[in-house]
Amino acid sequence: MEQKRISVKICVGTACFVQGGADLLLYEDFLDPELLGLCDIEGTSCLGGCKTDDPKWKAPLVEIAGVLYPNVTKQRLAELLREAVDA
Amino acid sequence: MLEINNQYTLMKRRIDAEVLKAYFADTLEAIVDTLPIHIIPRERDPNRCCVYKERAMVRYRIMALLGVDIDRDDDEYKPLARYVGEALAAEAQPLPTLTTITPGCSGCPDEQYRITDSCRGCFARPCLANCPKDAIVFTNGRARIVEERCIKCGKCLDVCPFHAVIHVPVPCEASCPVGAVHKNDEGFVEIDHDACIDCGHCAQSCPFGAIAERSSLIHVARMLKEKVPVVAMVAPAIEGQFPGSLAQIKAGLVALGFTKVVEVAEGAHITALHEAQEVAERMEAHAGFMTTSCCPAYMELVDRHIPSLSARRSTALSPMAYTARQCHEQMPDAKLVFVGPCIAKKVEARAIPSISMVITFAELAALFVARDIDIKEIAAQEAPDSSLYADCRGFACPQGVSQSVLRRSSKPVQTMNINGVDKKTVRLMRSWEKRPPEVDLVEVMCCEGGCMAGPGVVVNPKIAMRLRQGADVARVGTIPLGGKKHV
Ligand code: SF4
Ligand code: SF4
Ligand code: FES
Repeated sequence: MEQKRISVKICVGTACFVQGGADLLLYEDFLDPELLGLCDIEGTSCLGGCKTDDPKWKAPLVEIAGVLYPNVTKQRLAELLREAVDA
Repeated sequence: MLEINNQYTLMKRRIDAEVLKAYFADTLEAIVDTLPIHIIPRERDPNRCCVYKERAMVRYRIMALLGVDIDRDDDEYKPLARYVGEALAAEAQPLPTLTTITPGCSGCPDEQYRITDSCRGCFARPCLANCPKDAIVFTNGRARIVEERCIKCGKCLDVCPFHAVIHVPVPCEASCPVGAVHKNDEGFVEIDHDACIDCGHCAQSCPFGAIAERSSLIHVARMLKEKVPVVAMVAPAIEGQFPGSLAQIKAGLVALGFTKVVEVAEGAHITALHEAQEVAERMEAHAGFMTTSCCPAYMELVDRHIPSLSARRSTALSPMAYTARQCHEQMPDAKLVFVGPCIAKKVEARAIPSISMVITFAELAALFVARDIDIKEIAAQEAPDSSLYADCRGFACPQGVSQSVLRRSSKPVQTMNINGVDKKTVRLMRSWEKRPPEVDLVEVMCCEGGCMAGPGVVVNPKIAMRLRQGADVARVGTIPLGGKKHV
């Protein structure tokens, strides 16, 4: 079966960018090449999380296959992508 | 040195942003004493021993942000609201810039080499054979280091085939190029401010966040809130620190309320011109090498520790000093704020009366977050003609200063560069008195990777460099990163 490609959007709005989002852009450095090959990763404008007062939506945000995730670290990104690929 | 963005620096940025938000909403004094609880809720899974200790550290972070000298003025009975009131009344950049937070210091054990359980007590025993001080003994078939004899040369670590030898440094002590940080009799960190050159390496290295810089961010916030005329003088390293072009970053500063934004690269052009001429004169007179003079930590290093280099330094003023002079002439009534990657600039600026305050990019980031300014979406400011000084934006990067000088020289100039100062480079520079380097110009930057890797930056230099080269932030990750550690 053909593997579906996963669309990944890293928020590069200023609030996310300066609170850890910029480091996620180094994904070539820390993601498994096999995962990289299955994902289309790009930076995106503010995903809106920083505009809410809900403490849950802590920067940086990442959208994976249409679902938003807050407080994403490098390690968390790798886990989330692994889950998305295995799903 | 720790990564630029780690749990601690990110927490610090969040605290800064929360404090500023409250300040702009006129609620700071009312909420500041409960802010640590808001930031560290009881449910949090703590990184320190418990949430209560984390809250205590948030309190100290807020005090550092308010410019309090925690070493001397830590009063546990005093509510933060009172510190806020006092901070807002102060006028000058607080010095000394760095302060230690004793309750945060873990009192890391003294530096040691230790042999772990992985030792197999092998037959060849290369550790024993290579130790110059006979410090390795064998008990129960396992190697052990006799601490009193160990000179910490690390030879055993290099040769053990099982990687059984570990080196445990004291991060703050190891990072200080001049031995100004040490643990006191109680085992907690202390800075000798007479020896300290304000490079900030120790604050960047402590994994517990026990060394903090005293900020003037609240004063800058006050200027912006009270709408006094204030010029932002932005260091060349600013390009690449935020998700947009330089012209967008400038527009962001104007949106914050700065009256005008001036690039310090303008002053850097004058510095480079001056140095080009000076180096030519020295070559003519066969006077030997000259060093640059723009890195303030290097200037302090020479003043305090390497007098033999005093007369070697260029007499050019720093780019910040020239820029301040120009701004002051053009707008004598405006306050001047330097925005840069550097802690030592705070000390340099205190000697230049026209400069009111210095903040770092990390602190500027907190201002952007607090004011909801999105550099990515903001309309770029109209760019002035920068052809005269555009190349001096390179002052932020290793070799950038010497290249700017070369471009302004009529004759070929031999250069070398010191990219980052540590204990070893200090020894090397001391030796120049007897064995001068055979070049005309030595560029010195105390931070490895140049100002782009300074203690006040927000973005990994690998990403910042690509943004400086014009990469679109949405696509910057797709540009091959290559194997280079430092750009
Ligand atoms: S690195 Fe230094 S300041 Fe930090 S916890 Fe260890 S001894 Fe204390
Ligand atoms: S010289 Fe640098 S590393 Fe040493 S105490 Fe001062 S700021 Fe810290
Ligand atoms: S900047 Fe990422 S959610 Fe707003």
